[in-house]
Amino acid sequence: MALLEDIIKVENLVVVYSDGTKAVDDVSFSVKTGEFFGFLGPNGAGKSTMIKTLTTLLHKTSGHVSVAGCDLDKSPREIRRSIGVLNQETSIDVDLTGRANLYLQGRLQQLHGEVLEQRTDELLKLVGLENAAKKPAGRYSGGMRKRLDLACALIHKPTLLFLDEPTTGLDAQSRIAIWEYLEDLNRNEGVTIFLTTQYLEEADRLCRELSIIDHGKLVANGAPSELKATVGGDKIALALKDASMKTKTREILKTIPGVNDVMDSDDGVVAYAKNAGQIIAQVVTSLDRNGIQPSFLSISSPTLDDVFLRETGRQIRSEELSRKETEPFLM
Amino acid sequence: MTILYDTQSLFQRGLSKLVGNPTLLATNLVEPLFFLLIFSQVFQKLGDFLPGEPGGYLAYLTPGVLIMCAAITSPQGGVSITNDLNSGFLSKILLTQVSRPAILLGRLLTDMSIVVAQSLVTIIVAFAMGVRISSGLPGVLLILLTVAFFELALSGLFLAIGMRTRKPENISALSGFLYLPLIFFSSALFPTSFFPSWMQTISNYNPVSYASNVTRELVLGGLTFSTLASAYALIGIIAIVTFAATLYQFRRVIS
Repeated sequence: MALLEDIIKVENLVVVYSDGTKAVDDVSFSVKTGEFFGFLGPNGAGKSTMIKTLTTLLHKTSGHVSVAGCDLDKSPREIRRSIGVLNQETSIDVDLTGRANLYLQGRLQQLHGEVLEQRTDELLKLVGLENAAKKPAGRYSGGMRKRLDLACALIHKPTLLFLDEPTTGLDAQSRIAIWEYLEDLNRNEGVTIFLTTQYLEEADRLCRELSIIDHGKLVANGAPSELKATVGGDKIALALKDASMKTKTREILKTIPGVNDVMDSDDGVVAYAKNAGQIIAQVVTSLDRNGIQPSFLSISSPTLDDVFLRETGRQIRSEELSRKETEPFLM
Repeated sequence: MTILYDTQSLFQRGLSKLVGNPTLLATNLVEPLFFLLIFSQVFQKLGDFLPGEPGGYLAYLTPGVLIMCAAITSPQGGVSITNDLNSGFLSKILLTQVSRPAILLGRLLTDMSIVVAQSLVTIIVAFAMGVRISSGLPGVLLILLTVAFFELALSGLFLAIGMRTRKPENISALSGFLYLPLIFFSSALFPTSFFPSWMQTISNYNPVSYASNVTRELVLGGLTFSTLASAYALIGIIAIVTFAATLYQFRRVIS
């Protein structure tokens, strides 16, 4: 088979639910073969709908989609042969052992005999479940279930792997384990990965190419570093005790030379400036002169959240990974 | 053939789930024995009023218990597929290359093997208690076929309701509500000649009676063609109706 340049091609995709909700609204993008591609957005942005549509589970309303060189409408069966899917909700049979779950999945993917036995053992080892393989999956922890589910998605050696929020609800250790498997699969096995996430750090660490989605529409596209570069410099974040001072604060910041952009955040105001370190003294004096005292002030490199804030006026914070969660593990 | 391979895979899954769940396995296999023992002991004296039946009430009861258990088992497939639907397991297997009909076939085979196993256990225990099946081994095979067919026809109702409402508790509630009158207003457990005439009328139209009459005539002897044909025709009609609903709901679920 000739190598496809674009393993996923989506043109003007619209998905409307029967109750009239427009979950995906005229979205176009493509994913190159071998890419680690991410769909970042808050809860309810349309990420799961996108994955369910691309993986043949949901019917699209209009638009043209091809996955792994096959037309979504004409050859869903061929598409299912090439893709592996990890759904957001972990779906394993809790009555069967881990091995039996994986073995059944392999049979349903039309594997047989010795090949299936070997592949099952190989994957149990890869996801670190070889010692728990004979236990009923119902006794597995959340992280183990996710790893088993991931192994199921890989049993037939798919060339394209879809993952719908693969680490939502996992503890930091399991999350990092999943990240490492995925990076290894992409780098060493050449598996193209399409992942959705609401975690900025996850998108930033894993994805080489990223689309940001909100309310069913694409708001930005590009490599994480490119996207972050577009916000125009470092971020100066100010928290205000008195929310009514936001407008006045914005006005003052705009007058300071070097400030490229000023926006409201949830608890105050953010400004972006190339030379943030040099102008910070001026920021503080100007605010002080006008009687505004920030309760908190920080300078940091821009994150994907800043990209999202600029495009939508809101922040993705709902269930963001907090420092508290990751630190104990890293230490 | 994908469909055969996949049916076998999912049938094996159903059996493993059953064997790996001792509570479910025990209730399925012990339940018929409870009915057999309780009814035959409590109503032992009924045998005095059944002239010409050498096995007494126990011989009368055994074929009815087989049909009763087939009915009671029939909601299990619906519960199972509803759980798969709600847990996301069904979505997961729909994302594989699995043959779609095999998803239903694998489950139906599982349920039919449960009732066949139940019936065999019941027949063996009844045999130990002195019941002889007058039609011999071919009769036993026809009994097993009848209970499996009866279970199959009824299971379609619960499969359709489960996929439609996605609530396993609806299935248990409905089966309890439906089967209590269906079983007691039938010839399954008691001779209908003991019933008041209004109950006899209900019993005469009750599919449980039709199915019980077949198994009873196979146990006690004297199976007539009309008993067999009318029962199979009625069960066949039920199967067509319930599976039309099941296939309709299944198509909705998988598309």
